[in-house]
Amino acid sequence: MEYSNVEVVEVEQEKAPSMAKVIWREIVRDKVALISFIFLIVITSLVYGVSLFLNQDEIVKVDLFAINQPPSNEFLLGTDYGGRDIFGQLIIGTRNSLSIGILVTLMTGIIGITYGLVSGYYGGTVDNIMMRIVDFFLILPFLMIVIVFVAIVPKYSIWSFSLIMTAFLWMGIARLIRSKALQERELDYAQASKTLGTPNWKIMFFQVLPNLSSLIIVTMTLNLAANIGLESGLSFLGFGFPEDTPSLGTLLGYARNPQTLELRWWIWVPAAIMVFLLMLAVRNVGEALKRATDARQRRG
Amino acid sequence: MALLEVNDLKVHFPIRGGILNRKIGAIKAVDGVSFSIERGKTYGLVGESGSGKTTTGKAIIGLNHITSGTVKFDGVDLAGFTSKKSDIRKDIQMIFQDPYSSLNGRKRVLDIVAEPLRNFENLTKTEEKKRVQELLEQVGLSPESIIKYPHQFSGGQRQRIGIARAIALKPKLIIADEPVSALDVSVQAQVLNFMQDIQKDLNLTYLFISHDLGIVKHMCDEIGIMYKGRYVESGTKADIFNHPQHIYTKRLVAAIPDINPVNRQQQKVYREEVEKEYQQNYNDYFDQEGLAYTLRHISDSHLVALPQKG
Amino acid sequence: MWKFIVRRLLITMPQVVLLSILVFIMAQLMPGDALSGLIDPNIDPSAIEEQREKLGLNDPWYVQYKDWVTSAIQGDLGQSFRFKMPVSELIGQRLVNTFWLSLATLIITYLIAIPLGITSGRYNDTLRDQLINGYTYIGFATPLFIFALVMLWAFGYGLGWFPTGGSVDPGLEPGSFAYIMSKVNHILLPAISMALITTVNTVQYLRSEIIDTKQKDFVITARAKGASESRVYRRHIFRNSLLPIAAYFGFEITGLIGGTVFIETIFSYPGMGLLFMESVLQRDYSVVTSVVLLFGIASILGALLSDIILSLVDPRIRIK
Repeated sequence: MEYSNVEVVEVEQEKAPSMAKVIWREIVRDKVALISFIFLIVITSLVYGVSLFLNQDEIVKVDLFAINQPPSNEFLLGTDYGGRDIFGQLIIGTRNSLSIGILVTLMTGIIGITYGLVSGYYGGTVDNIMMRIVDFFLILPFLMIVIVFVAIVPKYSIWSFSLIMTAFLWMGIARLIRSKALQERELDYAQASKTLGTPNWKIMFFQVLPNLSSLIIVTMTLNLAANIGLESGLSFLGFGFPEDTPSLGTLLGYARNPQTLELRWWIWVPAAIMVFLLMLAVRNVGEALKRATDARQRRG
Repeated sequence: MALLEVNDLKVHFPIRGGILNRKIGAIKAVDGVSFSIERGKTYGLVGESGSGKTTTGKAIIGLNHITSGTVKFDGVDLAGFTSKKSDIRKDIQMIFQDPYSSLNGRKRVLDIVAEPLRNFENLTKTEEKKRVQELLEQVGLSPESIIKYPHQFSGGQRQRIGIARAIALKPKLIIADEPVSALDVSVQAQVLNFMQDIQKDLNLTYLFISHDLGIVKHMCDEIGIMYKGRYVESGTKADIFNHPQHIYTKRLVAAIPDINPVNRQQQKVYREEVEKEYQQNYNDYFDQEGLAYTLRHISDSHLVALPQKG
Repeated sequence: MWKFIVRRLLITMPQVVLLSILVFIMAQLMPGDALSGLIDPNIDPSAIEEQREKLGLNDPWYVQYKDWVTSAIQGDLGQSFRFKMPVSELIGQRLVNTFWLSLATLIITYLIAIPLGITSGRYNDTLRDQLINGYTYIGFATPLFIFALVMLWAFGYGLGWFPTGGSVDPGLEPGSFAYIMSKVNHILLPAISMALITTVNTVQYLRSEIIDTKQKDFVITARAKGASESRVYRRHIFRNSLLPIAAYFGFEITGLIGGTVFIETIFSYPGMGLLFMESVLQRDYSVVTSVVLLFGIASILGALLSDIILSLVDPRIRIK
């Protein structure tokens, strides 16, 4: 045999209990989650794609000859009291709402995860003090304090808005990660890393953190849904996006005027439906992820 | 000079309570333990669960805070050691009891075994890979294993990965915390014999923690028996197995199963005798709190915790 | 037991102090001060300066903080420049309205949650359970303010069943039957709107609580003894599942506070939430800080209450 001395060692690159695969299978199995997922992909690419061609300045320009028009061929979804095209505002608004939702979710995620990891990993007095701080933040009347800060911040911008939201929203994930880190640090692999001379920060971020990844993905997805809702709520009250930067919330905010609410549905109903569908879809995907990461609840 | 000298080691965990959560007491997990291990020998630490044997091991390697006492390694005290701790720590490594939780399931074998190398040695990617493959071969695993994940191995193989990781830095002392008790009996002997082989090859010193006297008899040169955080008896293998003095030790030794069926009846009678003696004399061997007395020499190597009376 | 309560109270103190400091900092950051609303801008600046000195506005911050806290404890929360009346008086009127709205919301919340949670938990995975689950699922995904808008649009404007604003019809004699009925009528729609959304948490919680309890050993034992199914539920399962729900009562208060801001704005209901929104928009900052302070203290007390009830209900909590 000629081939016998040629040993081909074929090594398959196998992933750990492949998370991505399990998640994908779960989403496909769950028709609702699959539809939600496709919906999100379509909406996201649509609003980011179409808004490239839309001129935001053009859309938010006041046109007094076309105020409060019902839907027509010219204005697909009518116009508002400044004669601004609702359809264009809806597209850009969805984009802005999604962007800020993602931004705030990421920022709260980074802060909350780091805070929770440190607190849980060190435990003891450090943990005790850090968690008392979290308790305090959790108890604050969040909405009011955010509104006050938005109202008094000088040079208010999208960035200061997301920073203010982040400042009062990082505690939930911090708490969750902390309780998990507290369990993980007692496991032998973390202890082993210590005996191998690995510094604490490396153990936290390179040993413990990867073991919490599924929990983090699920929590961040569910947080995204909540943050989209919060942004639209704050903008609705007039303390989110300024009016010249449309968001789903600013469109809904027009409904604070009783006449708009009662008589001009085309201004606020599409935005209301969009917020609802976005939140529902993101939550559906989040719940499917949750099931995928918890073997007991898995459907597939 | 002994490689490791532990003197009057105490590890106490505080009990907190009261309104201000202040310390109101302490659990004395390890309460005044002293022993020393000679280079190249295996020292067995035996006791039931909760006797403080694992806590002792973890305190030596720095995983538990030492309340008082000294731990001298190669003449250097580890207890008060804070700066440049890692340089000396690298000479002491640990093998963990549970081969499932001691390896991070999200890491490839390469990353697991290379972890200590990355902390202490500056190797290039190729050097590191070569080193890891050598180590794996040394513990009897194929070099291709490096790209696999821990869950793709059996318990015995995983414990070998743990051993490969522990010997990566060429340590002098290895603390083996019940290294085989989570494994199938059929695999236990394999791993134990293998540990003895690498001990010879690498001139290792073992601190062998176990509850199984049979295994300890097989592995160890000297033995210490712990009960409720204190020593009840310590000595050479012969001292402990042939001349146990403390009733607690006697009881443990009597409980070792004998494989020869001819002796079964005899063994049973002996065990019952010891049990009877244990019940009758319990109060003579332990103080009011049920703790062991201080150790006293009965020969050069043999120490027993006997009451002060004559 | 007492130890736990005392320890919990000890945690509450610094929380209140921290809250007051935070609110004080917020007040300092706000443009203008207690005087800017009161004085005619045409007055001579030196006279203003004199007045500032007299009111202690030039003192170092810790002296001002001390003065502020002392007067707040005595019930003096400053002056509203918009209404030209003491903030405490202004809040007094609005607080009553918010209290009734919150009470109505809580009652409706539990009226919905308890039967739905029990049905869904007892008959889990049946059609009934799936319908209830569908409701909670959608409830979770619907922001309160959007739901309230739709409710107002449909039942307030569209069908005209409920009034669309205010807390009572004008011109009615306070205390008369018509007056009370009008109040109830004004509270109903906002309270139902809020309750329908906030209740989904409790429904879900009760459901999983009952499903958990169903599999506990003591329930199996009760069945094994031969107790009838309804007796098992009445005597064993509900009792154990409803107690934790009772304990979450305090946390509901925290949730209600955020809700009232939206609900009162949408339904133009003159309570604390609307007062807060109006005051922020009109930059009536002494009112804003007072409302935040009061609601902050309310949430702290709510959490305290819940923790104490929980510790009574579940002894395991006390150990921590």
